[in-house]
Amino acid sequence: MLRHVLRTLTKMAVTLFAIVTLVFFATRLSGDPIDFVVGQGITQEDRELLTRYYGLDASIWEQYWRFLGSFVDGQFGLSFVERRPVGEIVAERIWPSLQLLLAGISFTVLVSVPLGILAAIHRRTWIGSAIMTIAFVGYAVPNFVLAVFMVLIFAFTLNWLPVVGNSTPWHFIMPTIALSGTLIAALTRFTRNAMLDVLSQDFMRTARAKGLPEHTVILKHGFSNASITVLSVLGLQIAGLAAAGNVVVEAIFAWPGIGDLLVNAAILRDFPVLQFAVLAVAFAVIVVNGAIDIAYGYADPRIRLGSA
Amino acid sequence: MRLFFATTAMGIVLAGSAFAAELTVGAANVTGYVDPGRDHSNVGSQFYYNTFDTLIEKNYDKLQGEFRPGLATEWKLVEPKVMELKLRQGVTFHNGEAMTADDVVFSLNRMYQATFPPYQVRARDRLENFEKAEKVDDYTIRIHVKREEPLWETLLNLQQVMIIPEDYTKGLTGDPKVAENDDFEAFSLKPVGTGPYAITQLVPGETLVWERYDGFWGEKAPLDKITVKHMPETASRITALKTGEADLITNIAPDQLALIEADPALKAVGSATALFHVMIMNVNHPVLKDPRIRQAMSLAIDRDTLNEALWLGKAIVPASHTMEEFGPLYMPELKTFEYNPEKAKQLLQEAGYKGEEIVYTTFPTYYTNGLLAAQAIVEMWKEVGINGKVNVVDKWTGGDPDMMARNWSNPMYFADPFGSFGVMWAPKGPSESEGRFNTDEAYAEIWERFRFSKDIEVRKAAYAELMERIRQDPPMLPLYRPYESWAMNKNINWAPKPGHIPYVLDFRAGSISFASN
Amino acid sequence: MAEATFHGRTARPAGIAALRRIWREANGLQRAALCIGLALLAVAAFAPLIAPHEPTAQSLIARLRPPIGFERFKEGYLLGTDELGRDVLSRSLHGLQLTLVLAMLGASIGLVLGGGLGLLSGIAGGTVDDIVMAAVDAQIAIPFTLIALLVLAIFGSSIEVMVLVLGLYGWEQYARIVRAEVRRLMQMPFVEAARAAGATGSRIAFRHVLPNTVSPLVVQFTLAISNIVLLESTLSFLGIGVQPPTATLGSMVGIGRDYMPTAPWIVVVPAAMILLVTFTVQILGDWLRDRTDVRLIDR
Repeated sequence: MLRHVLRTLTKMAVTLFAIVTLVFFATRLSGDPIDFVVGQGITQEDRELLTRYYGLDASIWEQYWRFLGSFVDGQFGLSFVERRPVGEIVAERIWPSLQLLLAGISFTVLVSVPLGILAAIHRRTWIGSAIMTIAFVGYAVPNFVLAVFMVLIFAFTLNWLPVVGNSTPWHFIMPTIALSGTLIAALTRFTRNAMLDVLSQDFMRTARAKGLPEHTVILKHGFSNASITVLSVLGLQIAGLAAAGNVVVEAIFAWPGIGDLLVNAAILRDFPVLQFAVLAVAFAVIVVNGAIDIAYGYADPRIRLGSA
Repeated sequence: MRLFFATTAMGIVLAGSAFAAELTVGAANVTGYVDPGRDHSNVGSQFYYNTFDTLIEKNYDKLQGEFRPGLATEWKLVEPKVMELKLRQGVTFHNGEAMTADDVVFSLNRMYQATFPPYQVRARDRLENFEKAEKVDDYTIRIHVKREEPLWETLLNLQQVMIIPEDYTKGLTGDPKVAENDDFEAFSLKPVGTGPYAITQLVPGETLVWERYDGFWGEKAPLDKITVKHMPETASRITALKTGEADLITNIAPDQLALIEADPALKAVGSATALFHVMIMNVNHPVLKDPRIRQAMSLAIDRDTLNEALWLGKAIVPASHTMEEFGPLYMPELKTFEYNPEKAKQLLQEAGYKGEEIVYTTFPTYYTNGLLAAQAIVEMWKEVGINGKVNVVDKWTGGDPDMMARNWSNPMYFADPFGSFGVMWAPKGPSESEGRFNTDEAYAEIWERFRFSKDIEVRKAAYAELMERIRQDPPMLPLYRPYESWAMNKNINWAPKPGHIPYVLDFRAGSISFASN
Repeated sequence: MAEATFHGRTARPAGIAALRRIWREANGLQRAALCIGLALLAVAAFAPLIAPHEPTAQSLIARLRPPIGFERFKEGYLLGTDELGRDVLSRSLHGLQLTLVLAMLGASIGLVLGGGLGLLSGIAGGTVDDIVMAAVDAQIAIPFTLIALLVLAIFGSSIEVMVLVLGLYGWEQYARIVRAEVRRLMQMPFVEAARAAGATGSRIAFRHVLPNTVSPLVVQFTLAISNIVLLESTLSFLGIGVQPPTATLGSMVGIGRDYMPTAPWIVVVPAAMILLVTFTVQILGDWLRDRTDVRLIDR
């Protein structure tokens, strides 16, 4: 088992290092931050002056070395635009993103698990097909379309809901729904399929034969078994989908999170921020995946014994 | 159903009443730092005037400079190249320190004798002629220039020479006796000035909060607190205004004005900003080397139609690179740029243009209507036979030798042709330095007369000569002065003042008030 | 040749009878999706013929005109005009075409790239497998929108770069599917038999493994198309996708969103088309999966 954990951790570290390196070199190719730091229209002389000042005149290897060094002091370098430690900037943004993510995932689970179970139980009736049709439509609606139309209806026309930032609970409603739309559609289908698998198993028949009430059979025996699948899917797929959705949703609702920060940093070529923010997101996803991997290890004796 | 926000909307109450007067501004862009010295961006210029003062103030209600005492109470030339200024007494910074000649000399010399690279860059294009400032006594200073300066007041009214505290700044990092680069970096996140509002919170790019500074030397600020929030999406900004999340919002494109007008609780004010959206053309590009091709590119563009279609006719289409704000140097009589498709066709033929592709590069969103104008311009080119193509990139390509034509802006950094055309198109200035514009000795000689002559008529004549050079061998075309609007609740009386540089949010006494309704 | 029978699958009698059976077995939703899908393909294929106007032809004096049935409607512009007076219908049709072409090209590149790497990884095993799987993990760890953001920032956005970006999308899914399938098949008796008969790695790959991965890949491919349509729309919406004056459905929504309250038709028409495309492809993909009866990780 320990070998499995160690192997997983090493893999995580290697992957992270690869991402860091890739992102570092990719950002250096993407343009000259000087244009964005001081605006356009300066003389070549001044450009060289500022290039030196921001340390962009050093060789790319030296910059890379310095970048790796910036992990040691915990500041992760200075933002070109804001001139303060990147660690501080990213830390400010993590909590709002996390809040939105948690709101989105809770909402998703609350809606799609019951729907998925219902769809599985009633798979041969109109209820099942209605739920699945809605799920298909839901998956087909990009979150930006959902967001744009919600803003038009509930904020612009009806003035019911606020649209900018995250200062009150009301601010969470539209971004949460916009983020969850696709997720709900996906998770409902996962849940349904997982439930269908479980419902066809022998122990379900046994449970029924014991004369237990139907809802007990379904919830206790059915869903508790299906939930393992649902949870792993939630971790693996949903985390990725949500991280991508966050970028768009945060942009539209001016949500002060990582997604918003990433887009702005990419546009302004604020390399230090861009690098570290990508890293932070990748780190989160990798840790979740790694944790699931290790958890699987406990569940699966073949892995636990190190044969895989 | 404005119900949910009744509380925020209630934030605005009558000025002078017992309640706090607060304002929330929804801004398309919030600055990443606050340092008037290193900055000349449109985003930053929103935030300086409330926070800082210059030595020489201006009557901003007037289009043209009418200078008046600011932190200096009087000023006179004591020698042809030396100005002596008496400083106002009893001025304090937001941190409570008294302002003395030391602070003023420090503030001026941080630009005039800049060591901090971002200051060096900003000083070079407009303050090159200023040698140094020195202290005479606690409330008297002298400023030395290298050559006799015809624009003394104008250049002492600049945002870049706003006054900041010396001890505070030096003490921010490292040695408290020395002004290190890191001190200026730190200052830009913890700015302190002498203005009527102090910045009490700055989340770069997101939020900026001003609170009234009760120790202000002049008329006290009318608002207790102003919160500026970043609201990048146009639709969101307007929605925020409607829901009461914001009381005043910035950057409303003409196409959106109807939305404001349709709501009886809202109103919009606007003005043709003192800034030109320009098309620049690379005079050194092999395809564009022949000036006749560039003249044709310029003559083919029907700027009035662009104005009608994209700006509802509210923008100003200039005949030359000139603005009313320049006062005596405003020269609308110059006919530097015109629309003449027939002549364009003829010039193309004479130049032997064979349909080579001419690429017009534009930022995707940076300039209001920039992308739309780019697409319309390429269609207009097509009419005269120019094979144009729009290229959308969010990089500045002005220094790229392959760049053919692209959009840019020439703001009025201060009210003189030198502050607009001059900053960008001086000999060895940014345009020439980027390799897309050439000057020669003759140009430099005309430039000398334009920049340093003390006789207005000589300056005018020289400027006309420069414009004629631009007409014959055009490196650019000013498209229009864009029309910018701000929208707000009907009970707010606020409008951009004509004497300011573009985008200044002026909430000083006399600039904003609330109607009783 | 004896090994021919090892593939297992007997070719179905193709032709009208088979099509008829497929139609009979379909439910109402699936039939509708099939019809809509074919209609969309036809419309996209013949967009230049159907579109009443050039998609880039502007009329600055007739900007933001509403669709038929509204006040200020302009004759000949059935679904109204956009912010430069261009025909929304024509732009949407051309946008649909480009969107579908991009999606199919992107999905194909992903299939070849991911499938190839998966095959390599599965057959070669060892270090090659470790490297490919590490790349898969890295790909999963970075939200794809972000990768696209970076690539587009580096190379600028053009149609070619866009195809590349979309082609990178989902390669790790193909790679995983093929690798898993390969590893499963490598244990099968018929592959072992082929090996024993002295077949080389590439021969095994092409004669035995590939044919057996066809059906899961087809399903994945279909789903990828709808995901790529969504991705392309999202990128274009963020302003980093295909650049004007060329329009895709996503870029029309992205640029039109500022006009949403005043001229909703600019957004509604392309948004509805996006929805129609992704919805149809989802249904068809799901149906295909049921028919091929392969158990896959649901996406």
